[in-house]
Amino acid sequence: MPQIKVYQGDEIPSPMRKIWLTFADNPFAFAGLWAVAGFLLLAVFGPLIAPYSAEHQDPQALLLAPSWDPAGTVEHFLGTDDLGRDIFSRLLHGAHLTFGVALGIVLTSLVLGFIIGSISGMMKGLKSSILSHLLDALLSIPSLLMAILVVAVMGPGLNNVFWAVGIALTPQFVRAIHQAIHEELQKEYVKAAKLDGANPIQIFWYVIMPNVWDTVIIQTTLGISAAILDIAALGFLNLGAQAPSPEWGAMVSQGMDNILTAPWTVTIPGVAILCSVLAINLVGDGLRSALSPINN
Amino acid sequence: MVRYLLRRLNLFLATSLVLFIVLFIVTNQFPVEQRFALTGIQSPNAQQIAQIETDFNLNSGVFNQFIAYLQQRLSGNLGISATSQRPVADELASVLPATFELAAVSGTLALMFGLPLGILASLSRHKVTQHTIMAITLTGYSIPVFWLGLTLSLWFGVELGWLPISGRLNLLYEIEPVTGFMLVDTLLSTSPYSTSAFFDAVLHIILPAITLAVLPFTVVVRITRSAMMTIMDQTYIKAAEARGLHTSRIVLRHALPNAVIPVIKSLGLMLGSFASYAMVVEVIFAWPGIGSWLVAGIYQRDYTVIQGGVLAVALIIIFLSIMIEVLHTSINPLSRKELYASN
Amino acid sequence: MPLLDIRNLTIELDTPHGRVKALERVSLTINAAEIHGLVGESGSGRSLLARAILGIPGHNWSITADRMMWDGRNLLEMSSKQRRNLMGSEISMIFQDPSSSLDPVISVGAQLIESMPAHKQTPFWRRTKKKKQTAEKWLHKVGIKNTERVMSSYAWELSEGECQKVMIAMAVANQPRLLIADEPTNSMEIQTQAQIFRLLSKLNQLQGVSILLISHELETLSMWCDQLSVMYCGQIMESGPTSEIVAQPYHPYTKALLDNIPNYSGEMNHKSIMPTLRGSAPALQHLPIGCRLGPRCPEAQKKCVNKPNLCHKKNRYFACHFPYHEEQCNDESTASS
Repeated sequence: MPQIKVYQGDEIPSPMRKIWLTFADNPFAFAGLWAVAGFLLLAVFGPLIAPYSAEHQDPQALLLAPSWDPAGTVEHFLGTDDLGRDIFSRLLHGAHLTFGVALGIVLTSLVLGFIIGSISGMMKGLKSSILSHLLDALLSIPSLLMAILVVAVMGPGLNNVFWAVGIALTPQFVRAIHQAIHEELQKEYVKAAKLDGANPIQIFWYVIMPNVWDTVIIQTTLGISAAILDIAALGFLNLGAQAPSPEWGAMVSQGMDNILTAPWTVTIPGVAILCSVLAINLVGDGLRSALSPINN
Repeated sequence: MVRYLLRRLNLFLATSLVLFIVLFIVTNQFPVEQRFALTGIQSPNAQQIAQIETDFNLNSGVFNQFIAYLQQRLSGNLGISATSQRPVADELASVLPATFELAAVSGTLALMFGLPLGILASLSRHKVTQHTIMAITLTGYSIPVFWLGLTLSLWFGVELGWLPISGRLNLLYEIEPVTGFMLVDTLLSTSPYSTSAFFDAVLHIILPAITLAVLPFTVVVRITRSAMMTIMDQTYIKAAEARGLHTSRIVLRHALPNAVIPVIKSLGLMLGSFASYAMVVEVIFAWPGIGSWLVAGIYQRDYTVIQGGVLAVALIIIFLSIMIEVLHTSINPLSRKELYASN
Repeated sequence: MPLLDIRNLTIELDTPHGRVKALERVSLTINAAEIHGLVGESGSGRSLLARAILGIPGHNWSITADRMMWDGRNLLEMSSKQRRNLMGSEISMIFQDPSSSLDPVISVGAQLIESMPAHKQTPFWRRTKKKKQTAEKWLHKVGIKNTERVMSSYAWELSEGECQKVMIAMAVANQPRLLIADEPTNSMEIQTQAQIFRLLSKLNQLQGVSILLISHELETLSMWCDQLSVMYCGQIMESGPTSEIVAQPYHPYTKALLDNIPNYSGEMNHKSIMPTLRGSAPALQHLPIGCRLGPRCPEAQKKCVNKPNLCHKKNRYFACHFPYHEEQCNDESTASS
């Protein structure tokens, strides 16, 4: 006989809280959230806690192995590269270049994409169709090719990476938001709101937007991980951040010369990129599964 | 159906036109003289200048210039490469097959392993199996491809010495290019070493193909899994069970065709990032495909090569994504329903 | 011997709110060649019962029963493979949503052919053709005229009625002995409903198929069924021959259902109160203890917090402490069949 509750007051959590509860229920997603918070802190305060500056060269410690290796020392926790620069400090200095710039790019293109996407999503007929053709063409240029075009016009450098990745990302946001809004517009409840006399702005903000936020959120997490990977790939190909910069992808490419004698110069920045992208993807995955029951 | 195909063709033409417009604008923005950016001729003599000006209609308005530009590009005149002094179109023709070969092999690998693994993942109700598969695919999705390529070549190529890490074929072999696909050419070749050359080509393609296959593989596993999980809860699966059909038959005949539809759709959406990854992989493994050619072009500021490469890759992607959409429609009766509704 | 004999079947569901007894000690007996109606409101566990009989449980179910006999064989002891074999050949089921019970990417004909029985004696090169002929024959039998068109269409190209007829053709093609029809006419027009019911009753008379007909409309069921079981919230309230139940319900719930049937004789006063039970059916996680009708029952007394046993009076069964019946049933004797 199970225990009998006399008064079964059922607490019904608000939608936001429900999403949070589902999200927090998933340990992986929660760990990802902590990791993302950690990376954010590093991106802001990394240079302050770094033991050395990014360009500081220690001629006594060239290609020093990480501290867990018998040859390594604790002074250079993750070892040094071929110029005697401390990899740990460079990683900390590079956090805001890779992770921070990625966030900046995504925020900028999210705002742009949101504005263009919502305007085009609310439009109908020829204008909307022209815009979607334009977007299809822009989307068919892979982000790396877009970056190559931008670099060809403006020359390599981290500033230009900002434009390159931003231009490649914006159409994705526009398209996702455009499609989400377009799909919602077809639904009956929008028609009902229209019959109630809502004007287009009210329909957009009060009727459609609440149902599009989850697309925006999911697209943002996807965008951040894509942006990190793109920045790193451009850095690796020497098209983005240039040689002395502690950007993580550029660090991998600088370590390539010594990959046989000192594999950690390649491995460690790579692991840093992997961890940051994995953290973002864990959060995105958790959010997606937390948001999906609402759709069903 | 004809009407639908015409509309897709129209979409292809319109999108390509937009692409040409974008490229035309970008070409005029290149930080070099316009004539050089258009043709790749470094220091033209007076006769060449006159030729270029008539070809590209440089003395009239922007619109006429664009029309001339379009005519030149569509007739196959992509200019000459500033570094090799060979026509860009010829160079393209020689590097494209290598890329196609690599992409085809890794795409096949991804589908061959991704679909079954996705199905297995969806059928297992075991928490540990599910979490393991999700963890593997999420890591595969997050891994930076250049780092993966380097690590793989370091392990299998250098430390274990099992596999070659650069190029398509050992330089010892001399194979007459017929199709451009090394795996086919080695078999077609009449040289006495053709079999060993074929195995050498296979060994060369393993590492780059696996590196490139990681992204589509993880996407295929994830999409297949989630699609299968939704489909296995549908009424028609329960109805098939109620008819007493065997579980394997239900999965293969009823669930899989339905699950493949979203997978195909996601393949179409993935083409862009797949192309980006392919370029990086080609650079790492010194694969003589369009990606490494293009990256070499940008290092040398070879603007005609950049234009030609971007144009070719983007056109291929537009074409493939439309083909995938047509395929999606043709195997999915449900989307044909929407088609009838919209017409 | 009854065809299907179920005693005290209990289905528990694992939900996020804990374990819920969705079906509590349900007993059901179906004899050969009868149409057995199962009436209850939606959410009363009718579909669960149907799926439990058929053997396609959900993954969070746990099923216990004192007895579950199919034609003298114990269903509970069968392996899932044996159950699956039984499903195709002896028990079949049609679902409430016919168009979504057909695979959307395969043509109807292919699915129909797939479910046709294999003719072992025909040589294999003629089997495909033979199966196609059988499929067309069955489509004819269920009343589809242009078989060619229906066979080559997809599920969404057909109307709900046509889909349901195809489903019935699939279900009866193997000549099952029991057909479970779970709300076969849900969301259909009256004309189509009547067609489907006529078809089912014809099958019952001509082929001797037993049918378990599940519906929420007592009125329709009482027209077509020989036997009737009334369910409420996962408990069987009353069971017996349709004519007797309609003439003299023993259980307050059955009476309430019968009173609910609108009276078309014109004797109702204008704006008179329509007789219904107070309140509404409880949610699965807030079930009352004892008799689940308790809080809504007009006859309820203190004793109703204990679950009444199923009483047996002649060929009627009912589970109530205060039935509309002269003599009380002694509670300890569970009905012996």
